[in-house]
Amino acid sequence: MTSSRQHGWSSTFCAGALLAFLAPAWAEDDAVARLAKPDTASVSAGGAGISGDPKDRSLFTQYNGLHKDDAYFLLDFDYIVRDDATGTWTIVQGRDLGLDTREVRFLYGPQGKWQVHGEYWELTRYYPRTVDTSVQGIGTTNLAVSLLPAPGTGQDADLKTNRKRLNVGGETWFGKNLMLAATFTTEDKDGARLWGRGFTCPSGAAPTPVCTALATGANQWALLMLPEPIGSNTKQVEVKLNWSGERFNLVGGYYGSFYNNDYASLTDTITGNLNNGLGVPMSSPALTPGLRGILQLPMALPPDNQAHQFNLDGSYAFTTTTHANFKYAYTHATQTQSFSQGGFDSPPPGRGDLGGRVDTNLVQAAINSRPWSRLALLANVRWEDRKDKTPIDLYNIEGTTTWTNGHYSNEKLTGKAEATYSFPYGIRGSAGLDYESVDRGQFVPTDQVAGLSGLRQKTYDRGWHLAATKTMADDVTGMITYVHADRKGSSWLKPASGTATGVFPADPDCTSNATNPCIFSRTAIFPYVMEDRRRDKVRALVDWSPIEKLSVQLSGDYGKDNYSGPTEKGLDHTRLELYGIDVSYRVNDTTRLSAYYTYSEQTLKVAHSTGYIADLKDRNDTAGLGIAGVLNPRIRWGGDLLWIKDNNQYNTSLDSGASAQNLAYFNSGLPFIPDATFRDFRIKLYGSYAVQRNGDIKLEVVHDRTKLDEWQWGYNGVPFLYSDNTTVNLKPDQSVTFVSVLYTYRFK
Amino acid sequence: MKSIRRILRILAAAGFVLLGCAGQVSAEEAHKDLVLRGDAKCTRCHDEGDDYPVLAIGKTRHGTVADGRTPSCTSCHGESESHVSKPEGVTERPRPDVLFRGKNRSTAAAQNGQCLACHQADAKRTHWEASIHQARDVACTNCHQVHTAHDAVRDRSTQPDVCFACHKEQRTQVNKPSHHPIPEGKMACSDCHNPHGSTGPKLMKRDSVNDTCYTCHMEKRGPYVHTHEPVSEDCGNCHNPHGTTAENMLKARPPFLCHQCHTPHGAQVAQVVGQGQAQPFAGSPLLSGTTSGKSGINYFMARGCTNCHTEVHGTNNPSTTNPTPQFNFR
Repeated sequence: MTSSRQHGWSSTFCAGALLAFLAPAWAEDDAVARLAKPDTASVSAGGAGISGDPKDRSLFTQYNGLHKDDAYFLLDFDYIVRDDATGTWTIVQGRDLGLDTREVRFLYGPQGKWQVHGEYWELTRYYPRTVDTSVQGIGTTNLAVSLLPAPGTGQDADLKTNRKRLNVGGETWFGKNLMLAATFTTEDKDGARLWGRGFTCPSGAAPTPVCTALATGANQWALLMLPEPIGSNTKQVEVKLNWSGERFNLVGGYYGSFYNNDYASLTDTITGNLNNGLGVPMSSPALTPGLRGILQLPMALPPDNQAHQFNLDGSYAFTTTTHANFKYAYTHATQTQSFSQGGFDSPPPGRGDLGGRVDTNLVQAAINSRPWSRLALLANVRWEDRKDKTPIDLYNIEGTTTWTNGHYSNEKLTGKAEATYSFPYGIRGSAGLDYESVDRGQFVPTDQVAGLSGLRQKTYDRGWHLAATKTMADDVTGMITYVHADRKGSSWLKPASGTATGVFPADPDCTSNATNPCIFSRTAIFPYVMEDRRRDKVRALVDWSPIEKLSVQLSGDYGKDNYSGPTEKGLDHTRLELYGIDVSYRVNDTTRLSAYYTYSEQTLKVAHSTGYIADLKDRNDTAGLGIAGVLNPRIRWGGDLLWIKDNNQYNTSLDSGASAQNLAYFNSGLPFIPDATFRDFRIKLYGSYAVQRNGDIKLEVVHDRTKLDEWQWGYNGVPFLYSDNTTVNLKPDQSVTFVSVLYTYRFK
Repeated sequence: MKSIRRILRILAAAGFVLLGCAGQVSAEEAHKDLVLRGDAKCTRCHDEGDDYPVLAIGKTRHGTVADGRTPSCTSCHGESESHVSKPEGVTERPRPDVLFRGKNRSTAAAQNGQCLACHQADAKRTHWEASIHQARDVACTNCHQVHTAHDAVRDRSTQPDVCFACHKEQRTQVNKPSHHPIPEGKMACSDCHNPHGSTGPKLMKRDSVNDTCYTCHMEKRGPYVHTHEPVSEDCGNCHNPHGTTAENMLKARPPFLCHQCHTPHGAQVAQVVGQGQAQPFAGSPLLSGTTSGKSGINYFMARGCTNCHTEVHGTNNPSTTNPTPQFNFR
């Protein structure tokens, strides 16, 4: 036997020597390829479990696909390959394939020449509250309602919205300057959402004798929970032709969007009697045919509609320091769904559909220049003219009183000019002017305005802003901005009372008559978007980085909007305060730590005509902590913590106009409006271990505790009851633990 | 067989001889381009061991060399001659012409100029100039990481944290109980905003707030037989899309939300004792077996005003007979 050892050097030794000869080059090429080549193919599979039942975790699982079941199969994959010779990418990725939030996306094509791409995306949103109801047929357009013998004896309605979206697109280059890109998106949506209706007899909006007072002269009313069925499709098409030159870029495009609803109307059938306001069946009489009939009328669901937009965008570089851009867009939107589809009573004679048409023109232009290194100037102007061209017709006939539909048109002009100068000592200052006007045009004289005291055709917002940044030292930078704006408007217009005869100016020159006095009462109320407004906002930020591994950011915001109109009522002001600190610290080369805390307070003060004043405050504390590290080449770990304390305060008082009844109630000691509170504490820990060179196992644990205490659907253990004893409930204290294990195998 | 062994012996001997020169060979090799065209100028010193590792740029679209438009290091950082060849008599090596991170980084305008030299041609960046981010000197690299395969701001699940570095108010809002699926990683800020500039307010992706909302909520577009004007004007009049504690991301619970503009229905104040319950208030009961449905309870509890005014976004019910759908929106 002849052994290689007989010759002194073994084959292994020889091979080792050969490797030693080639190793430096191979190893380097290998290392570079590993660091610089994107190619990867991996599959991740595993399982997850979640504690409790769906009611125990309804807030945590609204959107994350973990609502229905207690255990889940997890599957992700990645396939990314780039052919370096041609620059052709092939990317296919899948996420959450075992959940109803699954996503798959792909991309293929030689970079810079052409590519196609696509994405399939699913999302289910579960309504976090449990509805216990008598209603049958949820998710369809025909609902059946019957009185439950007692609250809580109905079936649980599973209200949710499922979305399934497919997006495909592509782009191709024609030479160096011209690119064509197109995308198409289609999305199906189905499910049901919380909805309903109520009605009182007698009512000024309903005819006698159909809806009359009871023999006693009293009222009869009912309130029903009727889920809205969702079954629709949206499609969006966008095509852009992009020409880019040395200085000039031009984009011509089309954007079409189409909504199609499977359902035109919702009807319900009420079997038997319903409860009265005290939660007992109506008696003497039971539910009257008049009210029953009104409660069974069809209700319209969102109509099919579509819009087509043609646009032209561009930018131009006058010099290397002066640039301009612009856009023109024309949008034609229509809504022509046939009225006959909904089975509605008596539309206007001869009118088969609304014939809705809205045309919008948009023009925008901006210029930005740095005439010298220390100075920057910019100006921006935008004009949008929305013209509602829908035909006017008689859609409201109450006896001899007739009204029509209305129009919503407006013309908006916004503009801004700003100068920024870099001063010595690291100071940079900006000053600018802001303008916005809205012209709502002439109000349709035959349309009736309801629930409002006045309207304004035009409003003007004029403002200015200042900003300063200072580098205070190598490691500290501060920034402060101040914004001020005043909104005024044209004379208030008063809707005519009785049969609509339009609006008339309510000012000293107006001529009053018996039914239409020119002055507003002190309890009049006006749309806050039309009222005078004074706005002041301040924002400050300080970044401090005393050492390379530590950065601290302090932030503060304050803003207040004061509203005023010819009244004592309505919105008085809104206010926001926010203060925060963010800290980021690199513990060492492998471990990073971050933390933040933010306090905010939002206020809304509203005075109501019945004499109560609501001073609402939302106080929020939010804190977060995150850590991520690498223990050794095999073990990675990390964790996140989130803590939220949110308190909505309903501070309410009565003014001198409050009725004796309200005063008596207010002083009775009964609950007025308690706070609504929300708490959340969430901790997430994760770690991965490389069990082999191309395989990792990852463990993730999430524990979440929430508390949502509010009065909307019940208070102090007493539920709000619909007239069929339907209740809507939420478990206020929820605690959930989620554990997942995922093994990732990377193909070589 | 013998000849093969002989060849291996010769190669092994050569290997040992050359091992001694390995460092020299590596130095020679280091002058070759590693990832990008012309990167040898930089990669002879800079590699993955740097504070800002550089080679992973090869995994990105910038590193796709077959695409003739892709850059070299100097396309972004400038030729940086004095940095490459430290002038004599200078103690500290001058920094590159354009530096994107660190205390000595270039101005935002200088940084962005390098990026826009190529990316200005992209239709999504047509309106960068004069946008609020441009005016406030936000640099591309404040949000983007270029030398890595995973740019956090381009990943739906990690993007919001990048934006929250400045937008703190929104960070507190997205975790409230009524929110878009942003914390769950199913939506990102760029689904609604174009941070590179747009013609809409608040850097909205489409031309207005409403046009942006309609991309997912097209059922709200109308026009309707009976329109609710503030809805057509701006969804943000009533909703805070970043999150609230009130249902449906409403800025306040009805009726307070509605009472900002409307003052309907007589003298009733808020009551939360629960509909269908006998009133414990003996003084002057606000609720009885025949009370009007327009009671303080029906205003304030459940869906508030929308208990009866069902479809506040507008209704397409054409019925002209009483009770007409105009006031009740249904």
